[in-house]
Amino acid sequence: MQLRSELRKLFARRRTYIGYGAFLILELVILWVFHLDKPREEMGKILSDAGLEVDHYYSALTVTYWMLGFSMAMLGAIYLALVSGDIVAKESEDGNLRMVLARPISRLRVLTIKYVAVLIYTLTFVWFVGVSGYLMSSIALGWDGGLFVWNYELRVFSFFPELTTGIGRLCLAMLLLSLSMCTLSSIGFAFSCLRIKPAAATILALSVLFVDSVLQMLPFMAPYKEHLLTHRMSNWVYVLENHVSWAKLAESYTALIGLDLTLFVLGWMAFRVRDFKT
Amino acid sequence: MTRKADPEVILEASHLSKSFGGKPALRDLSFTVRRGEIFGLLGHNGAGKSTALGIFLGMVEPDGGEARIGGASVQRRRAWALRQAGAIFESPAFYDYLSGMDNLKVLMSYSGGFDAEAALRVVEEVNLGDRIHSRVSTYSHGMRQRLALAQALLPEPKLLLLDEPTDGLDPEGIKWFRDFILRLREERGMTVLFNSHLLSEVEQMCDRVAIVRQGRKVYDGRLEGIADEEMTLEIEADPVELARACYGRLGGRELAEEGRVSFPEGTDPAVVARELVEAGVNLRRLTPLRRSLEDVYLEVTGSPEGKEEKS
Repeated sequence: MQLRSELRKLFARRRTYIGYGAFLILELVILWVFHLDKPREEMGKILSDAGLEVDHYYSALTVTYWMLGFSMAMLGAIYLALVSGDIVAKESEDGNLRMVLARPISRLRVLTIKYVAVLIYTLTFVWFVGVSGYLMSSIALGWDGGLFVWNYELRVFSFFPELTTGIGRLCLAMLLLSLSMCTLSSIGFAFSCLRIKPAAATILALSVLFVDSVLQMLPFMAPYKEHLLTHRMSNWVYVLENHVSWAKLAESYTALIGLDLTLFVLGWMAFRVRDFKT
Repeated sequence: MTRKADPEVILEASHLSKSFGGKPALRDLSFTVRRGEIFGLLGHNGAGKSTALGIFLGMVEPDGGEARIGGASVQRRRAWALRQAGAIFESPAFYDYLSGMDNLKVLMSYSGGFDAEAALRVVEEVNLGDRIHSRVSTYSHGMRQRLALAQALLPEPKLLLLDEPTDGLDPEGIKWFRDFILRLREERGMTVLFNSHLLSEVEQMCDRVAIVRQGRKVYDGRLEGIADEEMTLEIEADPVELARACYGRLGGRELAEEGRVSFPEGTDPAVVARELVEAGVNLRRLTPLRRSLEDVYLEVTGSPEGKEEKS
């Protein structure tokens, strides 16, 4: 009942849907880019160099994979940081939290409900991007075809000729990508629990991500790259390898889930001792 | 440490103290509110009233002392204690993008569940009618306050905590609110803690008041007793020396305001008049004055200009 109320609040706000709208536009843009001659040629060259049939792999599934990677890195981080940075700080700023805390419910429970709501939003958001991306790509390119995955940074080069295998792998990838994005939401959530403005919580969450990505690019950080947050968050791509290293994935996602829980506890510790007063 | 709670006491503030950034907001504040009472917590803006309310609701952690609702410590058994209380704030913040009813659903989900039938009954009681299904963003301040009343009453509390509830309401709204609170006490025996700096409101509603100044309680007592403690007369008479001699014989004391004389409790104005006339004083006017809450308030908190600093 309380979780349903929290979700009702979250999904009844118009601004929640701005993110969905923006993603649909971004997907259309990516789809349009894939229709241009130059990218088509480039991709065709990579595929033919690898001995793969261009028409079969220049497909809805392949475009969906690119859409997921691009859009989440570009816009997803911003929208998820916005929503998670808002979830506690905005209600605190507006005074709604006082109305909630005047009721016989513990602060831990209030925070847990909000955190679970943010995680559900994150999961639905990633799946919305994936499913809508595939539907749009299917309309433009046809639903059939294989999945071709190429990621230079992570050294992933794989292909799945069968549609069902491709869809299965893409679903697994979306699941892990959702978990990765939950870490970003957890960072936003933890900042949101502090006595700061919602915008500050969002900016801080994005700053953490930005600094981490910069560190990843520095040559002297190469030995530690695997431990960096953004690197671990991008590990969802490994589930698209032809031979999946489950141990590597398990290690990365255990670390991310551990970090999520730690961030929740830190947020709760800050929230627990706060005074709420007019 | 356990001690037996008085079952007649529903709210107890026991030696509460709180500082914000080293600045004291409450200093050793203690008082009790008995069942069925309307109790006024009075003080200037920033005197510590809202901090006290925050402590009663477990939103502010006191540096020292304890608040108890129905015998349960708010600091140790918050959920249990708050099951007996409903609260209204000066500017109640609702989810503006939801309807009034959806707001009630959301808030009631934190109070053990939403009962549609009970909600409709309370909505009728507070005169929100069909507007309960409109978005709260379209509500006037008065409607928001009535919605606040509805959310506070829905869990059927024994104690209502009101923080400046009539601020910003028009005179009609204030009267409606006052009558409603008085009816709640009359019909349901509800106890009310009324936090305000509006003396007239407190005077019309409360049985007992505590006056807070710079976080410290400076007065605690029944309202009806305030007027009876002393009797003040406004007297216009001459010669003044002769009149003063009479006042002295009757135990009177001249006040700072010209022509005002305070006599011991129970002094009959007719006796004063007869004494003056028999002493040969030309008595032109003699008016008994009631000592109002405002007089007491100004007396214990200092001059009208003596506003406290904000906590």
